[in-house]
Amino acid sequence: MKQPSASWKLLALAAFLPILVLVAIDVSLGDKIHPESFKRFGNAILTSYVLMGIILIGNLFFYADSRHRPFAPFVGMMFAIAIGILIAWALISNDDLLLEANSGLRSQMLSNVVHMLVSGTAMLLAAVLAIGATFAMITGRERRALFEEEE
Amino acid sequence: MFINRSVAVDTMDSMLEAAIWFWIPLILVPIGLWLTISGKAKSFGKILSLSGLILVFISSWTVPSSDSTAAGHLLLSVLAPSLLLAYGIHGMIFGGNVPVGKLDSTARWSGTFAVFISLTILCLMHWYNFTPLWRDGEINPYWIVFWPTFLLCSTSLCSASALALVSFGDNRLSESMKLASLSVMMAGIALSAMIFDGYLTTSEEFRDYLWLAAADILGTVIGVMLAIGAFAIVIWSYEKSLPIPNNSPPPSKDEIKHVVSIAESHIGGEEE
Repeated sequence: MKQPSASWKLLALAAFLPILVLVAIDVSLGDKIHPESFKRFGNAILTSYVLMGIILIGNLFFYADSRHRPFAPFVGMMFAIAIGILIAWALISNDDLLLEANSGLRSQMLSNVVHMLVSGTAMLLAAVLAIGATFAMITGRERRALFEEEE
Repeated sequence: MFINRSVAVDTMDSMLEAAIWFWIPLILVPIGLWLTISGKAKSFGKILSLSGLILVFISSWTVPSSDSTAAGHLLLSVLAPSLLLAYGIHGMIFGGNVPVGKLDSTARWSGTFAVFISLTILCLMHWYNFTPLWRDGEINPYWIVFWPTFLLCSTSLCSASALALVSFGDNRLSESMKLASLSVMMAGIALSAMIFDGYLTTSEEFRDYLWLAAADILGTVIGVMLAIGAFAIVIWSYEKSLPIPNNSPPPSKDEIKHVVSIAESHIGGEEE
């Protein structure tokens, strides 16, 4: 069996390199880093953490069916999400650290969810294109006989 | 005093309208999906998520005062090219050599055509008058969020897929090159948007949002990984806290005798 020649690190590099190249071209065109980039980065981390945590809580119900419905993992995940919300609340309300062009804490949090809805849809559509094209390339090959008996 | 009170009532009304016509339907979508996937109420789940999705799509008409509904309007605007893309990908995959559900071989070509048409429509939404307009003929503010994020993410994922295809398979260089070409094409579209003005947006605005889109993608990936890590820690610590199952008692003399008799009946027998 052929050993995979690329590690996960190389794959991660292949994923992030095009983004870095495009951003580098942007810099070479004379643009500076957008002042709101750090805020967007922070808001994206916290929002995706909380939303993904809620999705995983939904997944816990499937896990509970095979484990006599324990309460501890549910409480643990609720605690993990609560920490995420608490950090988001602290950073948004404290000294304008993560507050973008919104009037306050509540509007920033709602705006984060709506923003994630749009950017998540864009990422999902990109994933459909990339993964779908990959499978299309694989199924587009001529069918090869794996064993001599097949011929 | 009266003015302040009326303003407060108006604000409350608009918040309530936004909650009823946008936020509650948005919450209904994942709940419906969960009910469908869990198998607890499949039909009800499908109806719930579909009706929630439709209400989110039309929220810019049902509650025009809310800024959040711009997202619903944008999702409705990109629905047609997205469906065309999904249809094209389906045709491209199942028009090839698949053991189950194989389509006619022409589906592969029509699928490729549909994918390119959908990408062309998205390009026309940036460079021609298909741009989604929201209030008073203004451009939908989320279009400039969606477009660079889609371009950056598809460039990045196609590049990773090309490397994965050539690394984890035999003689897949030509297929990998096709995927790399798709990645270069998406990067080329992004580069064009960085240089040439769109119909209602400037190239400078696009370059500004490119930074924000990169921050968005990186932040989302890290946030999702952190959530999965937290979930793994929670499950691991719970499983670790469970007591070790007790050993069953050794078999009694009667049980051993019974087992021996069964074994003898199978391996015994008279010599021929």
